[in-house]
Amino acid sequence: MRQRRMRRILSLILAGGCGFAAPLGGQVPATADDFAVPQPGHHFAFPRDHGSHPDFRIEWWYVTGHLFAEGGRRFGFQATFFREGGAPGAGATGAAFGDGQVYLAHMALLDVASGRFIYQERLNREGWDARADPATLDVRNGNWSLRLANPAGPRLALIGGVRAEAAFNLSLVPLKPLVVFGENGVSRKGAAASAASYYLTFSRLRAAGELSVGDRTMPVTGEAWMDHEISSSQLGADQVGWDWVGLQLRDGREIMLYRLRRADGTMDPASALTWVDAAGRTRREPFTWEVVDRWQSPATGADYPSRVRLTTTDPATQAAVSLTIEPLAKNQELSGSLGGIPYWEGACRIRAADGGEIGSGYLELTGYARPLKL
Amino acid sequence: MLALETLLLRRFTLRHWRLAFRQSLLLVAILGLGVAVAVAMRLANRAAVASFTHFTDTLTGPSDWIIQPAAGTLPESVLPELRAALGAAPVQLFPVVETTAARPRRAADPASFGRTTYTLVGVDLVAVANAAGQQEAGGSFLTAAPLADPRGGATEGAPDFWRTFRAGPRVWISRALAAEIGGARAIELVVNEHIVRLPVAGVIPGGRDAPQAPDTLIVLDLPQLQQLTGKVGRLDRVEFAVEPGPGAAGRRAELRAVLERLGGGGARWTVASPAARRETAETMTQAFRLNLTILSLIALLVGLYLIFEALDGAVVRRRGEIAILRSLGFTEGTVRRAWMAEAGVLGLLGGALGVLLGWAGAQLAVRAVGHTVNALYYATTVDRAGLSVADGCLGLLLGVVASLAAGWWPAREAARTPPAQVLVRHGAAAAGPVLLRQAWLGAVLLAAGWVCAQLPPLRVGAGVRFPLAGYLAALLWIFGGGILAGFLLPAIARVARRWWADSAPARVAVSHLGAPSGRHRLAVAALLCAVGMTAGMAILVASFEATVRGWVQRSLQADLYISSSGAQSASSQNRISPATWRAVTKQPGVAAAGVLSAFPIELEGIPTLLTGTDLRLVRARSSLPWVQPPRDDAIYDATRNAGLALASESFGERFRKRRGDTVAVPTPAGWRTLTVAGVYADYGNERGSLLVERSHLVEWFGDDDAANVSLFLAPGADAEDLRARLLAAYPGLTVFTNAALRTEILRIFRQTFSITYALEVIGVVVAVIGLALTLSSVLLDRRDELTVLRTLGFDRAQIARATALEGMSIAASAVAGGLALSLGLGWLLIHVINKQSFGWTLGFALPWGQLSALGGMVVATGGGVSYLVGRWGADLPADREE
Repeated sequence: MRQRRMRRILSLILAGGCGFAAPLGGQVPATADDFAVPQPGHHFAFPRDHGSHPDFRIEWWYVTGHLFAEGGRRFGFQATFFREGGAPGAGATGAAFGDGQVYLAHMALLDVASGRFIYQERLNREGWDARADPATLDVRNGNWSLRLANPAGPRLALIGGVRAEAAFNLSLVPLKPLVVFGENGVSRKGAAASAASYYLTFSRLRAAGELSVGDRTMPVTGEAWMDHEISSSQLGADQVGWDWVGLQLRDGREIMLYRLRRADGTMDPASALTWVDAAGRTRREPFTWEVVDRWQSPATGADYPSRVRLTTTDPATQAAVSLTIEPLAKNQELSGSLGGIPYWEGACRIRAADGGEIGSGYLELTGYARPLKL
Repeated sequence: MLALETLLLRRFTLRHWRLAFRQSLLLVAILGLGVAVAVAMRLANRAAVASFTHFTDTLTGPSDWIIQPAAGTLPESVLPELRAALGAAPVQLFPVVETTAARPRRAADPASFGRTTYTLVGVDLVAVANAAGQQEAGGSFLTAAPLADPRGGATEGAPDFWRTFRAGPRVWISRALAAEIGGARAIELVVNEHIVRLPVAGVIPGGRDAPQAPDTLIVLDLPQLQQLTGKVGRLDRVEFAVEPGPGAAGRRAELRAVLERLGGGGARWTVASPAARRETAETMTQAFRLNLTILSLIALLVGLYLIFEALDGAVVRRRGEIAILRSLGFTEGTVRRAWMAEAGVLGLLGGALGVLLGWAGAQLAVRAVGHTVNALYYATTVDRAGLSVADGCLGLLLGVVASLAAGWWPAREAARTPPAQVLVRHGAAAAGPVLLRQAWLGAVLLAAGWVCAQLPPLRVGAGVRFPLAGYLAALLWIFGGGILAGFLLPAIARVARRWWADSAPARVAVSHLGAPSGRHRLAVAALLCAVGMTAGMAILVASFEATVRGWVQRSLQADLYISSSGAQSASSQNRISPATWRAVTKQPGVAAAGVLSAFPIELEGIPTLLTGTDLRLVRARSSLPWVQPPRDDAIYDATRNAGLALASESFGERFRKRRGDTVAVPTPAGWRTLTVAGVYADYGNERGSLLVERSHLVEWFGDDDAANVSLFLAPGADAEDLRARLLAAYPGLTVFTNAALRTEILRIFRQTFSITYALEVIGVVVAVIGLALTLSSVLLDRRDELTVLRTLGFDRAQIARATALEGMSIAASAVAGGLALSLGLGWLLIHVINKQSFGWTLGFALPWGQLSALGGMVVATGGGVSYLVGRWGADLPADREE
């Protein structure tokens, strides 16, 4: 999903424009311009695979989460580090001003009580101020960074912020094993052979640290979600956008869903909903997606779903469940001034059919301001 | 009361203005001219300084701090170090590489300096998109409109990002340059000694509120400019911008503390704010700009005199009317207030006209000022001067204040007109300001000026001094001379009486000159001021030129001089690479070669130059013009001169160093303490420079580039022939023969002084107009006498001749006094004002031809103008109402 967005965002500013000579359907070893393509049965090794994969064109580390300060003050945050390669393996030159890779980063913070949503984008070339270590998780863009603080018992250190208006310094400790989404290690995104990714997720991390908003600094705790996706793929021309959710339920399970929207309004068959049980095992289930309410962005005019009823099957009971995804604030849109693509990425609460709150999550909506052509 | 003045203004003043429309217009024009010169200089000065900061501002927005090494460049490794030290602090870092370049000389152009210097700025074109200004603008270098496609970005998809960064250097240019090259897809530039052809990627994007990119700005991706200039892995400076948010002021202070700490107290780099850097630029040029301002104020001073003359003339013309008003019962106070109100309104009109004219003049002056600043100090890009509300108000204020000051005495005269004046027109002519009649006052002023001339300069800031007492001395002498010159009139009268004893017109003129009125004396003083200053300036320029000519003669001994063709001004940073200069020095026919290296450094926060050459060769082949020669030979011996340096005179003045003093200079290898072994004259560089043995300098800076090379040819070798060969082999070099370089230096010299000539002409023209006005007032006052003369059989020509003689006598007194004054002023300008401002010792030279031409011209035009006034006066009816 996000790779599609990433692709689009980077493409607009950077314009890749490479064709794929690979046959449809079958497995291909590489793209036409020699970027690697995810292979089934890949053996992941850590911390190596937490690090950067410059053989692949596109990669990101995507952290979203919910934070609570003393007195119950609630926040949602997003910290995303993107990487795009200009040529396979490029950028390992160590140059201060490299020309092989670029790094885009998005940071956002929602103050739930006030509904104030602030965000910032940053674009840097591979070099002295932005890099990603190929050996371990250590990615940096300006004064923002995400790294593996303790390789033995995994703990991640995230430093982010929005200009000088907000800053967070968080320690993220996985509460569940790492999830590899997809079949045999490959998460498919479309019919094209190369349209796939390695999709690694810490679906539940305990977050603790400090959050500064304005001139106030406060200790915070909460839960976060981190995706790490690696791909080189080009997506189908008939897809105009996508919806993604990562839901953390209070019973210890999570749901990850991506929904590829076609120009004719139908959903691409590659769309998928996956449950992660308390032990970290995954299971795909069919689902329906019903938009209950909409919100129009005054900034871009995009008409986003602002409340969604999700119906699926609970793999534990095999019973149908209906969940409502409800944004904690209407306006959590990032205008995409650097990337050129506006999208909505926001903190939500999850309500059961009886209206009771049963968890929280993040919802991502793209292609609503205008169709994504790529 | 007020109603009365209003009534007077309407019925009396306005009516006069309607009737004497042309005179009123002239008055406003004169006032406007004076204000205009002052306003124009102010705008031009400011614009020349303001352009200093605009280079990176337009790309990254204003930064909070700038770090820059005191000498040399910074390694790229400071960037990760700085980021690590800053931790999570929300600070943007913008590393910058900067150099200058010029477009190649076309074959048809003569060998000369002065082509436009472009500033090449290398910034990280990806990262600048993060700068606040660029984000707001919604544009970036990655989406900048390509020149080839004027619709810009209309093509599907975006410009190819990766190609932009990998296909070799590309440039982004200003709209003005884009228009100039007319759609060409590439631009040729001389960078160091190479001519490079750089594809034009687009026009520099600008934010709505961001300052417009200067016309001479050329932007490249930072690593490309590093490659192009041989500064691989090096940075010229790093700019820092604290991201917006609460507590930004505190963060800025913290950031500064971190930068200061890491900078090792100036050893690695100095930390400055852009404002401080602008101030440095301002103080560097302060003396120069103050001098210009003073010159412009002098124009206003002469203008003041004109206004006085004109208003005084109006009083005389309208005396009859005033007398009627007085006899109708208007009080002295009412008349005076009405008169002052008239002066005020005239001042307002003149001020407004002056602001307009001044703004227009500034557009012309700004290029001249910019040219000089460029030649002497640093690259400026200025070609427009903006006008602020404050400038407008200042202009109006100047106009009104000048007009009121000049109108005060005529208003008093007007008010004192007795009601019976209409009946006794032949009453005594106004005596004029009493002060002008005091010979002792003139002597005291001259003496006071002498005392002021002995005072040291005012130290405005580090390295900047301003000869305040020197200017005061000049002013005192001008006033003192003005008073004393008035006493020449009776002397001239005595001479004239003896020579033209049988000429009736002469006797008439002599009778007036024998007991000169205040008006006569004032006319002499004003003309004297103009002549004295013009001649004084001419003496300064002539002395300067003679000195420079001698200096050029002595110090330019080589046969060929070679520099990068990109080096077009003092601020040029273009160098010749070791491979090229070595090849050049090994050409057949070369007997010896002097290689000069130059590195800009900062001392006490002021930019100056550290230069190096083979000092033994300097001694063997040419002679430095010494101010203080070295006491022994150690400076010429490379084994003994590592701790020695020669200081240029400007350097010595600026930093107060004399022979025997020590000076600590920053180098990339650390501080070096040098003892000044001698001081030499150098008129080419006002920033001052230290000269050391080149081999030491190369070691300290780890940089073997040359700024220029001088070649001494073996006997029989042909300089022109070698020049042609060198130009063919190295098209990026400029090669001057000895004679061509001498000519070129003198051309630049004259160009630098061109602005002073314009001011001189204005001064003389204004003074001659003033003379005409004076005489017309005088004649109006003598209407009865003229009537009598005509009755006695004087014809128009005779009256005109009498007036001409009167005017010529005034002019002659002024010229005699003015030339005498100019000797004093010339001495003052050369030995006090110039020496204190710029630190240049000049020999005294008198431009005899120029001075006598000036004197003759003033007397002749004075006589001619007076003759015309006399003809006009002869026709005055005895009882005409003006």
